[in-house]
Amino acid sequence: MVEYHPYDLHISGETSINAKNIARIESSLAGRSEFAFAVISDTQRWYDETEACVAAINARSDVDFVVHTGDLSDFGARHEIEMQRDILNRLRVPYVCVLGNHDCIATGEHVFNKIFGDNDFAFTAGDVRFICLNTNALEFDRSEPVPDFSYMRRQVETFPAEARRTVVAMHAGPFSEQFDNNTATMFQYYVHRFPEPMFCVYGHNHQVAVDDFFDDGMLYYQCPCAKKRIFLMFKITDEGYEYETVDY
Amino acid sequence: MNMKRLIISILVAFVGALTVSALEADSTSTKRFDRRVRWHYDGWERLKPKTVAAQYAGGMGMAAAGVGWQYGRRDRASTELLVGFLPRHYGNEFRLTFTLKETFAPWSISCCPWLSVEPLTCGAYVTTITGEEFWGSREPKRYPKHYYNFASRLRLSICLGQQVTFTTRNDVLRCVSAYYELSTNEIYLLSRATNSYLRPRDYLRLSFGIRLQICKPIER
Repeated sequence: MVEYHPYDLHISGETSINAKNIARIESSLAGRSEFAFAVISDTQRWYDETEACVAAINARSDVDFVVHTGDLSDFGARHEIEMQRDILNRLRVPYVCVLGNHDCIATGEHVFNKIFGDNDFAFTAGDVRFICLNTNALEFDRSEPVPDFSYMRRQVETFPAEARRTVVAMHAGPFSEQFDNNTATMFQYYVHRFPEPMFCVYGHNHQVAVDDFFDDGMLYYQCPCAKKRIFLMFKITDEGYEYETVDY
Repeated sequence: MNMKRLIISILVAFVGALTVSALEADSTSTKRFDRRVRWHYDGWERLKPKTVAAQYAGGMGMAAAGVGWQYGRRDRASTELLVGFLPRHYGNEFRLTFTLKETFAPWSISCCPWLSVEPLTCGAYVTTITGEEFWGSREPKRYPKHYYNFASRLRLSICLGQQVTFTTRNDVLRCVSAYYELSTNEIYLLSRATNSYLRPRDYLRLSFGIRLQICKPIER
């Protein structure tokens, strides 16, 4: 209960969660071409709803892992991210969190980096490579490349042999006000350079949406905020994938 | 963001009410248990601080220190200006905080000539912090208008606490008070108001402080 400042970096509890959970996902799904994952997003200041979401996912037996596409905090305050972590840690399956624009407010990015991990990261679930990207360009104001194309290029060049397909996850989708829309077609280009890109998932706009932003057949699935009490389920099959929205 | 306006207006009304009640017609009579007397300065001397204080935690940095003015009937109200710091380890860079704090202690119970207890202190404070990552009332220009609609640099806190005061015979150091406070700020209150998930330890914050009354003024 002693706190120096709401934006201090005096983090208590578990840290480096993405790295630990990626190890769990990669080892449990190694060699598989069929699995299922849930996408949740924008749980900021909806703690009760996030708890309900975790309970709903835990009640299912067909979820192998969860991807949170960002905005765990509303104000970027440390304890907001800690509370979200504590709720998400109750998930029976491993989860990873992508950086959202609200998580960048004030010192929030540092807290996110310590508790979860890097702004850009990738992991392999079965034979699918998940590329998780920071697309909150407005927050970084050209101080860092967002999205980071050199990171995407390196991921293409070092694509692991055990993966044959790709899913891209981000917080702000192309053509949102957060995205650097001058680079949207470059983003499209790099997404297509990955082996067999299947689809993209993102959050930010708080509603369910499925869009083919570039008219190139690549679908972008938007996950709504926790207030809407909906999460997305993706069932990856050998031939493709199935998508559904789940109310809770 | 009407909730923000509501919280600000509640806080302003709260501080206003404290100040008005503190400035009620002055009474020189000491109550049976309340032996606080109004310490009186004349003219420009009234600007001289009557207290110095240091506080640990409470959202104004690791520690903060500053000066204060006590006024009103039996010196029940005080205004303090505190400068705090957040070491690099806790703030990514060394940061300073600046706090304007308004406290009201309605009662003082005198236990013996050298010890009294203030069973309730209540107050409100506004804290600002240094650093380019924070913004005040104006969000950085890169954002669309009213994008986040809050000031990351400013936190409004309210607090409740208790205090013990030791009176000395020293002319310069009049008395020494030790206090603790439970505080919360507007973003924690907003989170609590909209979620049953938050337990007291999620939105209440504990802080400790020492307050010295300095310089012996003329007693009425």
